[in-house]
Amino acid sequence: MQQVIKFLFSPLAFAVGFLWPLFSQILLASQTVESNGLAISIGAVVAIGWGLMAQVRGSWIWIK
Amino acid sequence: MDQVTHQQDINTLSDAQIDVIERQIANKYMRIVPWGAVAWGIGNCLVFFSLFPLVMMDLLPLWLASPIATISIALSYLPSHEAQHNIIAGRGKPLRWLNELVGHMSTLPLVLPYRVLRATHMEHHAHTNDSELDPDFGVHAPSDKDFLIKTIRDRLTGSERDDSYGRTLDRIGQSALMLDALIYNTIYLIILFTLAWSGYALEAALLWWLPKHIAMTYISYYLSWAPHHPAEEQGRYRDTRAFKSKLGNALSMGMQYHIIHHLYPRIPLAKTPAAYREMKPILERKGCDLGAL
Repeated sequence: MQQVIKFLFSPLAFAVGFLWPLFSQILLASQTVESNGLAISIGAVVAIGWGLMAQVRGSWIWIK
Repeated sequence: MDQVTHQQDINTLSDAQIDVIERQIANKYMRIVPWGAVAWGIGNCLVFFSLFPLVMMDLLPLWLASPIATISIALSYLPSHEAQHNIIAGRGKPLRWLNELVGHMSTLPLVLPYRVLRATHMEHHAHTNDSELDPDFGVHAPSDKDFLIKTIRDRLTGSERDDSYGRTLDRIGQSALMLDALIYNTIYLIILFTLAWSGYALEAALLWWLPKHIAMTYISYYLSWAPHHPAEEQGRYRDTRAFKSKLGNALSMGMQYHIIHHLYPRIPLAKTPAAYREMKPILERKGCDLGAL
C-alpha cells in the first residue's frame, strides 16, 4: 500500500495520469495535429520524458 | 474610550493603563459571529464545485469559468481561517457545528485539510518569524519579486518547504493528522487523472490545477509574506506589520490589518479595520511597524 501511495504522488504518475492526456488534448484543441493517435503519441513522449527527468532529478526543472 | 486613544492622551498614560485600553478596544470587536464569512465559506465552495458540471454541460465557457475558479480558490482560505480561531463558535457553543462545517468545507477547493491547517496555524501564531518553528517561515524572501521566484522554484523543485507542515505536526505530536492530507491529496489526484483520461484534461487543468497554483501563490503572498515582511523580528508588537497595499484592502484579502489579527486572533476579519483605526495610537506607542496605513 505504501508503495502504491508513494507512486501515486511521484512525478512519473503525475506525468502519466495528467500531463500525458493534457498535452494530447492541447495538441488537438489547438489543431496543431489532427490525428488522435499522433496527439496521444506526442503527448506520451513529451509527458513521460519530462516525468522521468523529474523522477530522476527530483525536480521538474533541471536545476534543483 | 475614543477620547483616550488620541496620541497625545496616550503619551500621558502608563504602560499598564495602555494595555487595559488596548484590551478594552479589542473586546468590543470580539464575540461577534461573522455571518458574512459563514456565507462566504459555504457559498464559495458550492460555486467552485458547480463550475465543473456547468463547463462539462457547455452551460459556461471554460475561458470564463477558469478565472472564476481562480478567484474562488483564492477566496477559499479565509473563512476556514475564521473557523481555525473558533471565531464563528468556540468549543461547547451551540453553533460549534457551523464553525467546524465552515472550517472543513471552505478549503476543499485548496485541497487543504482543516485539521492540518488549524494545528499548523496555531504554531505559526505561537512562533511567528521563528525560522525553525514557524511553519510558514519558508515563504519569506527579501522582496516580493524574490517571493514569486522562490514560490515557483520551490514547487518545481520539491523543496523542503513542501514538508514544513508535516515536520510541524511531527514536532507537536500530531503527525496522525497527515492522514487527512494524504486522503485529500489522493482524492484530488484521482479526480485530476480521471478527468484527464476522460477527455477533460483542459477542464481539469484550467478549473483546478492551474487556478490552485495561482491562488496558493496569492494567498501565500498576502497572508504570509506581506504582513510579516521582512520577518526578521519576533515579539507581540514586532512580528507582524500593517501595510498599505497597492491593490487596496479587499484585493489584499484584508491583510493590511493583519497586525490586529496577530494581537487579537478572535477578532473577525471584517472587524480588523475598525479595531485598527481605534487602536492605532496605541500601536504607534508600542513601536509597531504600521507602514503607510
